[in-house]
Amino acid sequence: MTAAGRGAAWLLPPGRRDWIAAVWAETHEVRPGLPRLAWRAGGIWMLAREALLPRRLVKAALFAAAAAAAAWAAWPQPAVGHAAVSQFHVIATVLLLAGLPLLARRFFGPATASRTGRSLRVFCCAAVLAFMPALAVVEAFANLTPAQPAYRRIFADLQGSGGVPGQSSGGPPWAGEIVFLLLTVGYVGVILFLTSRRAQVTRSTLAIGTGAGLLFGAVMYAVAPLGLGKDATDPWLPGSAVDPLVVLAWILLFGGPAAAALLASRRCRRPDGTRPPYTVRIGQGIAAGVLANGTGALVVSALGTGTTALMLKSEWLLHWLNHGQQLTAVAAYRYEIHAGAGVNAYPAMLIFFPVIGLFMSAAAAAFTNPAPRQPYPRPDGDGGTENRIPVLS
Amino acid sequence: MTSRPEFSAQTLSVLAALCEQPSQWQHGYALAKQTGLKSGTLYPVLIRLADRGLVEACWQDEPTPGRPRRHLYRLTAAGLASATGALASAAERAAEQASARTGTGKPRARVRPGPAAPGAAAG
Repeated sequence: MTAAGRGAAWLLPPGRRDWIAAVWAETHEVRPGLPRLAWRAGGIWMLAREALLPRRLVKAALFAAAAAAAAWAAWPQPAVGHAAVSQFHVIATVLLLAGLPLLARRFFGPATASRTGRSLRVFCCAAVLAFMPALAVVEAFANLTPAQPAYRRIFADLQGSGGVPGQSSGGPPWAGEIVFLLLTVGYVGVILFLTSRRAQVTRSTLAIGTGAGLLFGAVMYAVAPLGLGKDATDPWLPGSAVDPLVVLAWILLFGGPAAAALLASRRCRRPDGTRPPYTVRIGQGIAAGVLANGTGALVVSALGTGTTALMLKSEWLLHWLNHGQQLTAVAAYRYEIHAGAGVNAYPAMLIFFPVIGLFMSAAAAAFTNPAPRQPYPRPDGDGGTENRIPVLS
Repeated sequence: MTSRPEFSAQTLSVLAALCEQPSQWQHGYALAKQTGLKSGTLYPVLIRLADRGLVEACWQDEPTPGRPRRHLYRLTAAGLASATGALASAAERAAEQASARTGTGKPRARVRPGPAAPGAAAG
């Protein structure tokens, strides 16, 4: 029993293993019989508690199930060309999602105690996992060279005349694949950092940034649920009905991170004391701004790519998005292929939105939290008393 | 509104046991006997205290022949200060509760939560 307990100690984090060994070591001091059995039972109870068996195993099982489902859905069909790139994409993404949190724990410390922060981690992981099969479906369709000449002309206008009819060239080339993986690493890494204890991002900053991002993402998705292609934009708000949303999306793109930065820096009332308060407030502001636009980009990319993938699989959704119009087969193909190409806008959003958020929030936070003026000596040696901060004690 | 005590009753009993001889290393089983806590309660308490830097732990240098090395515990300086304060607060709370029960408005007897720690002022 003791040997089994020692073996089970490997379920614990390294810093906890000594403690379970300590319980087993004391067993010899306890009177044999019921007391010793009770002592060992207490050790097993502690082992279960410290290993967080239910929570940790459930989390691991949920992640494994979601990753397996996503990988199964995204795994390239045998007819797809460049299948090796797509297979690499699936495997590398799953490995990154599994490995990055472990690395983050080592370098950034454990996750923040904030529920918003933990939810943000789960959301980021779910968005990347959802994005993976959706992108695979869209790419397989967008790169499938049609067999019929009428379709092939539309395909050639958009994708070029290369390709074997009836065969898909699969996902992006290796360079595109590397960009995708770098984006995944960037997003997951930044969110893991911002939601770690070492980053010291406050709960209110996380809530403000995430809230602004969800609003921005929802508006962007309403504007462009099928990418930013000319023929695939605003299917449910035709004509000028979408214009107010477009204006709102522009305002949120530039104004959202600035507003989030102002709010987050103002809400930061208890600087940590190790750095000047204004730098802490600026840091909180920048974190909120980056989160706002990063979360927004993630929301619109995952939802938009998912909607496009569902539309390609579901004729009902295609017709619903076209307000019940009776599309001819060629018109439907034209619509679908343009929607597939429109998905290419999402990686650009994923790259540029957080950068815009960074600049806007940094500017807003720095403008509203200026560095305190330092005293400087006058040329006559008087010391410049008018700029001195009065000492109150 | 009264503030929530910093430590649970079990933690206070462990702190009180460790305060008895703060410079001495103590075994887990000895602490369990002193406090009356089961191993499944005692060790998580010790882990939390060690995580907060209030208790330090080490392995026995020279184990008894034929026995595994034992894990030893004692309070750190911060732990001693924190334990002293927490035990004094607990004693005051107990006294207030006792006086509230009797309705005299004054504590009838001074409640000591355990052996006084060195440095803990009696007054």
